[in-house]
Amino acid sequence: MNGAEIIETPQWSFGSLIGHPDNPLFNINSEIVIHTWIIMLLLAIMLASVKFLLHHTAMGRFILIRFVSFFIDLTKQSLGFFVFSHCVFASSLFIFIALCNTASLIPWLDEPTRDLNTTLALGIISFFYIQSVSIQVRGIGSYIKDFFQPFFIMLPLNIIGKLSSIVSISFRLFGNIFGGAIITKLYFGVIHGSLILELFGLFSGINFLIIAFFTLFEGLLQAFVFAMLTLTYLSIGTQEGGGH
Amino acid sequence: MYISSEFLHYGAIATSIGISSVSVGLGQGMISWSALNAINRQPAAQDDVMRVAIIGMTLVETVAILGLLISIFLLVYTTLDPHACFSHYAKIGIIAAMGITSFVTGLASAFPAQAACNAVARQPFFTHRISGFMLMTQVLIQTPLISSFLVSLFIQGQADSATTLTDSLRLIASGMCVGIGSIGPAIGLSIFSKAALNSLGKNSKAYNKLLSFTFISEALIETPIIFCLIIAIILLFMIPHTSTDNPISGIIFLAAGLCSGLGTLGTGISSGATAAAACTQIGLAPESYNILSRTSLLAQSLIETVVLYTVILSLLMILFR
Repeated sequence: MNGAEIIETPQWSFGSLIGHPDNPLFNINSEIVIHTWIIMLLLAIMLASVKFLLHHTAMGRFILIRFVSFFIDLTKQSLGFFVFSHCVFASSLFIFIALCNTASLIPWLDEPTRDLNTTLALGIISFFYIQSVSIQVRGIGSYIKDFFQPFFIMLPLNIIGKLSSIVSISFRLFGNIFGGAIITKLYFGVIHGSLILELFGLFSGINFLIIAFFTLFEGLLQAFVFAMLTLTYLSIGTQEGGGH
Repeated sequence: MYISSEFLHYGAIATSIGISSVSVGLGQGMISWSALNAINRQPAAQDDVMRVAIIGMTLVETVAILGLLISIFLLVYTTLDPHACFSHYAKIGIIAAMGITSFVTGLASAFPAQAACNAVARQPFFTHRISGFMLMTQVLIQTPLISSFLVSLFIQGQADSATTLTDSLRLIASGMCVGIGSIGPAIGLSIFSKAALNSLGKNSKAYNKLLSFTFISEALIETPIIFCLIIAIILLFMIPHTSTDNPISGIIFLAAGLCSGLGTLGTGISSGATAAAACTQIGLAPESYNILSRTSLLAQSLIETVVLYTVILSLLMILFR
């Protein structure tokens, strides 16, 4: 019941090559990196299969059209108008995060979003996209002027408010996936080893319920929330005089 | 004042099961009260109202089951050593986590069931959808209980190895963080889901829009609990163990836990109230869903930056102590 081993991740250390053996900056979470690359490979295979095989079948075309129209509706709904690049950005974020969150359904694979580094990277990507779009739409003068609203003294608070969107968006994803991963690992650690408990969990459906709620439902929901919040921040950033 | 260690141990056992059963009793009473009211108003829908009320009561009862599990764990897996007073002080953390959270969630998950009974009385041909909607909101309201259940198990696992006052204060802080942190979001979730089910009862044509709005809003209202869980897990596992006693750092842990716990209080309630107002308006005018949901999400994401300040402050307190 001591869950410390869940949190530790195996690491590669490059510090000794450079001369700083204890510096945590040169450590890389090996498991997370390898699993992210495997998921990107899976994503590439999925894209290729959709493009070359499923595209010609009626069912594949139907799923594709439903998916694309869902994201077009989402963009229209959250921005108020349709912009192709925003729709593509949000949908690609959604696909990647959804695959990452549900990766533990595949044997020998863990969720890369269980690690804070992955979610922070995703948050920083969406932050820079939002800021660059906001500068493009409103012009650099209007963008900088917004930092001094309503008074000149509010500059540090406005900067913190802008930066806090990274923390908010990435900690939300990390916390949900991390909590779900801990709960499922703990549950399967408890029933592991006792044949009666394992059979009971398998046939009563508790195993299935836990996986379905904490991995499938929570993972897809959080990926959707991430894409939706990116679009919401975009709509704030592109409006004239939008505060934070 | 001298508190005997047995008192704290058995007090934790009694609090965990006692408070959870009190809140479950109150919640089930509220559900049956509004079920009887609904039957009184619409006697033809008696079977449907009864079915919805029984599903709601069963889901409220999971609160008592989790409290019972914690009590049994405490009773069975503890060797009572009267000299190890610090490991018993850590049980205050379990009292805070399970006591507060089970009281709040037991009452909060009764509100959507109450609203569902009234909604079924208004629209008996829509019972299937309403009961599914109620089930989903109740399960989402009970997620803070799962997090505090986990934290209580971790505290129980580490309590035996707590040999200094710092250790026991650290465990108390993690329990308090989760316990106090779940009050606001649970109240907000209950306000929101009550409003959603009410507007579903008034306008069943808005079902699809209300469903998608509920998913995303409940995920947003629940976020402060997740932040509290992160702080609690950092307090439990990420602090390097020291054998020397340093009560000042223990008090800093306590302050950090209370800071992030209290920070969620206003945020959860106001975020829930914002989403509830939007939900009522969607029920009245489904055609203006786009502007309503956009405004509500914008307001909620702005409200939630306040929690981040407290979370960052408590992280800084823990790191630079």
